[in-house]
Formats: sequence, structure tokens, C-alpha cells
Amino acid sequence: MSVFITPAMIGQVVISGLLAGALYAMVALGLGLIFGVMRVLNVAHGPILMLGAYVTFWLFSTVGLNPYLSLLVSMPLLFVLGVLLQRFLVRRVVDAPELSSLLLTFGISIAMVNVAQLAFTSDLRAVEFLTGSFVLGPFAFSKSRVVACAFAVAITAGAFLFLQRTRLGKAIRAVSQSREVAQVCGVNVQRIHLLAFGMASALAAAGGSLVAVMVAIQPEMGGIYTFKSFLVIVLGGAGNYPGALLGGLLLGLVEQLSSLFLTTQVNEAVAYVLLVVVLLVRPTGLLGGRTS
Amino acid sequence: MRRWVPALLAAAVAGLALYPLVATGYGVRMMLQLFMWVALAQSWNLISGLTGYVSFGHVAFFGTGSYATAILIASLDWPWPVAALAGGVAAMVLALLIGWPCLRLKGPYFAIAMLGLNEALRVAASYFEGLTGGGLGLSLPTLHASVEIYYVMGLVAALVTAATYVIVTSRFGLRLMTIREDEVAAEAMGIDTFRYKLYAFLLSAAGPGIVGGLSARDQGYIEPISVFPLIMTITMIVMVLFGGKGTIWGPVLGAVMLFTLQELVWATFIYLHQLLFGAIIVAVVLAMPRGILGVLQQKYNLPRTI
Repeated sequence: MSVFITPAMIGQVVISGLLAGALYAMVALGLGLIFGVMRVLNVAHGPILMLGAYVTFWLFSTVGLNPYLSLLVSMPLLFVLGVLLQRFLVRRVVDAPELSSLLLTFGISIAMVNVAQLAFTSDLRAVEFLTGSFVLGPFAFSKSRVVACAFAVAITAGAFLFLQRTRLGKAIRAVSQSREVAQVCGVNVQRIHLLAFGMASALAAAGGSLVAVMVAIQPEMGGIYTFKSFLVIVLGGAGNYPGALLGGLLLGLVEQLSSLFLTTQVNEAVAYVLLVVVLLVRPTGLLGGRTS
Repeated sequence: MRRWVPALLAAAVAGLALYPLVATGYGVRMMLQLFMWVALAQSWNLISGLTGYVSFGHVAFFGTGSYATAILIASLDWPWPVAALAGGVAAMVLALLIGWPCLRLKGPYFAIAMLGLNEALRVAASYFEGLTGGGLGLSLPTLHASVEIYYVMGLVAALVTAATYVIVTSRFGLRLMTIREDEVAAEAMGIDTFRYKLYAFLLSAAGPGIVGGLSARDQGYIEPISVFPLIMTITMIVMVLFGGKGTIWGPVLGAVMLFTLQELVWATFIYLHQLLFGAIIVAVVLAMPRGILGVLQQKYNLPRTI
């Protein structure tokens, strides 16, 4: 393609990529938590994000709540849903072969999408808030993306502080390193599983609330985020939590950079090709993952 | 095997062979789709039921077969049975290209890679508009051949089932099941695990490729979302799981039961069918992961080759 690419365009694209990547990293950290702690791939991660987006939409359209304040509602609400899912369903397939957990969470996922269709209809919804862009020299960035990135960074940092500093966070990391040893050391593994699923769902919900301001909300919006989160944790190394951050930023960058040269459709395929290549060259991820 | 089994099989085959003589066009199309699901479920069983490698994007082979067949018919005017066979070959070539690298991946990584493959193919099918018609899809010349396609589809379903029988009762099948139970132990016993996984993968791609082609001919129109849907992979998996994975008749039983359920129940609850399907998946996974035949096998001490 004979498009002339200026340095300013590259700068714009790199920064847009990092903005998007921070969001991917936060959402994927949730998926990575569940995978790291239980070796379960949660296909319902995207639909949980979708529910988070609807919480924000309804709070905004009915009582006019600031979408960013609705994080305070969506995150705890879906934390509870996550805990319930883990307690009553997912818990029973934790030690089963991966087929069971993939299918179970897929079943949960289509049921959630169907319920959302019945309850909210398939109409496209939007939260019109914080439109317009920040202009900085030659660059322009949509305000909602910049603010979403700031929230994502803050929430992800909070999650990391929790994992690094608190006793519960250390227990989560211990269980993802070795469940048996953690148990011997007195960690209540079942409780850690509940907590991990709850936290993961809260992170997905945060993603939903933040994208609610940027994209169209509809019941099937979650699927693409499930897939991107898979991609991110493979990129970063499954079970490797800092790796999820790197993976998220990388995915954002690659998507934006490829959009310079390719149409949006192929843009998606670029992510998939990246996934397969990384799986083949470094199946343990860029930073090295936990081997089973 | 007891004496009534061959007799029962012969009666079923005779009944199905005579069915188009008395059935309506609608009935023939229904049975044709049932055959398609039997072939798909049975093919998934060959790789995932026997080796334990979860192909989470098996519909990729169906879609590849559909497009290969449709393109051959639409642009080169090939007769449909030959084109459908070519669809099977195309699917096997894809299986070789993707299986060669990906079958080295373990556990969930293989599942993710297969899921990615299917998504990538769907995007590719929309992108290469010159060949595939892109998002607008590909229309085939009108042809009324449902009865012929019914017989060929039935033949494919029967052949895949027969192949499963031959494999499960052979040393090849034993090797595959050893890989499923413990791949490291299989290696240690001198089984070239990679080679046998690849064989099983190639065999499991042929059936979906051919029925994909037949289905494309029968429908007369294909588009990326209609031949690469994730839900189709899930449906074949649930059929196998429902009937009993790793068994010979489980996928057939599962396909018949789930397909009947779909046609009878879901047609009545159009707005709820995904919710119901989700509930069925959850119930099957939690309540009977071994499937109907698996449970019967365990309870009545039935042979492995059922």
C-alpha cells in the first residue's frame, strides 16, 4: 500500500497501542489469575465484561451516574457473581481435564449472553460521556481512551500491590506456584480459588465499565475480549502475572501498528497469527510461564 | 459380538436406504443433517476422544472443506461428489500444516491454538474476496440433489464410524489411547507419539472436510460466519461427550439424541435455545462427563469396543 507514514503517525499509533494495551492487560490479568491458580481457561470472562458494561450503561441511563463512579458498583457486583460461579459450578471441574472446564465455562458463557439478550435486548447501546479528544502537538487521543487507560493502570497496580504485599495476595501466588505446598503451609485453597475467581470477574467488570464509554454495548460484545485475553496470557506466559501486563501492551501495540498497513478485518487476523506463532516458538510465553 | 447386533445394523441401514422413497423433502434434509452431525461428532472423537488432545476449533476443517468444494464447483465447474472429496483433501492438507507444529503443544495450549486457527480462517475467508466472495458469501448454481447428497452424507457418516471401529479395535487405537492416558509413559514404551497423533489428526480432518463440501452443495450458499462458527465445534464436542467419548457408538448416540432435542425442543423455545443449550452443556459436564455409554460401560462392565 502506498500510504506515506510519518514519524508523527508512528508516535500516535504507539501511544494508542499502549492506551489500548493497558486495558487488555487489566482484563487479561483476571483470566490469567484464574488460569494460574486453577489451570482453568474461563471462556465466560468476556461475557462477564459484557455484564460490567451493562451495569455502567444502566446506571448512566437511569440515574445518570458518572460511568467511572459505576466501577464502584460493577466491580463488587461481579466479584460476587464470580464467587458464586466458582462456588457452585467451576469448583467441580478444577481438577478435571481441560475439556471439562472449557465446555463448562462455554456453557455458562452462552447462557449469560442469552440472558442478556432477553433482559436487555440485542439493541446497540452507548454511553455518551466524555466525547472529544485531547490534542497534544501533532497527536490527538480520544479522552475516553486516555481516562480508561489511567483507570486501568491504577486498578492493575492495585491488584499487583495486593498480590505482592498482602498475606492473601501471597497466598494466591503460592497456590499458583504449587497447590499442594500451599495447602501444607496452611493456605485454605478452596477459599483462594473463590477469591481468585471473584477478583478475576471484578477485573473483567472494570474492563466492561471502562469500554462502555468507548464502544457499542451489546450482549455478544464479550467474545472478542475472551479471545484477546487468551492471547495475552499466552503471550506473557500463562500463570506469569507480570507477563500478562507485557502481553497486553504488546497486543495493543501490534494491533495498532498493523492498522497502519492493513484493513481492520485483517487486523484481527494479525492477532491470531501472533498467537499461533508465539505458541509455536515460545509455548511458555515471552517471560516464561509455569509448566504443568 | 452378539448375533442381534449385525441384524439390527442391517435393518437400520436398510431402513435409512429406503427412507427417501417415502419421505418428504423436508424429512430428507433433516436426516441429511443428522448424518452430517454423526460424521462431525465421530471425527472429533477420533482425535480428541482417543488421544485426549482437545480440538477446540474442529469446525475449521468443515469450513475449509465447504470453501474448497464451493470454489471448485463455482469457478471450475467440477461435479459435486468429486469437489466434496477434494474438500476432504483440502481439510487434510490444512490438518497437516497446522498439526505438524501444533500437535507438539500440550493441554490447553493446543485447544487455544485450534480456537485461534478457526478465528483466523474466518477472517481470511472474509478477506480474500476474489476467491471466496468475502463477507457477501459464495452462491452455487441451483441443483436439486438432496436425495443424492443424503446417500453420500450417510455413506460418509457410516465410513467414519467404521473407521472408528477399525481404529479402536487395532493396535493403532491402543497407541492413541495410551497417549490419552499418559503421554510420557507412551513415549517411554517406544510409541512415536507425535506421528500417531498426527495420523489421528489427519483422519479426523477428512470427514469434516467432505461433509463441509456436501453441506455447502446442499445449502447452495456459504459465507464465513455460516461455515466457521465456534458453536458448531462446541455442538460436536457436546454430542460426543453426551454419548460417551472414546467409544465407537457414543458419538452416534449423542448426535442422534442432541440433534433430535435441538429439532424438537429448541424450535419451540427460539428465544431460549442458547440458555437451554448452555444448561445442557453444564449438566453433561458436571453430571456425566463419561457420557451415556461411558456410564453403561462402567456399570455393566461392557467391553471397551462398544
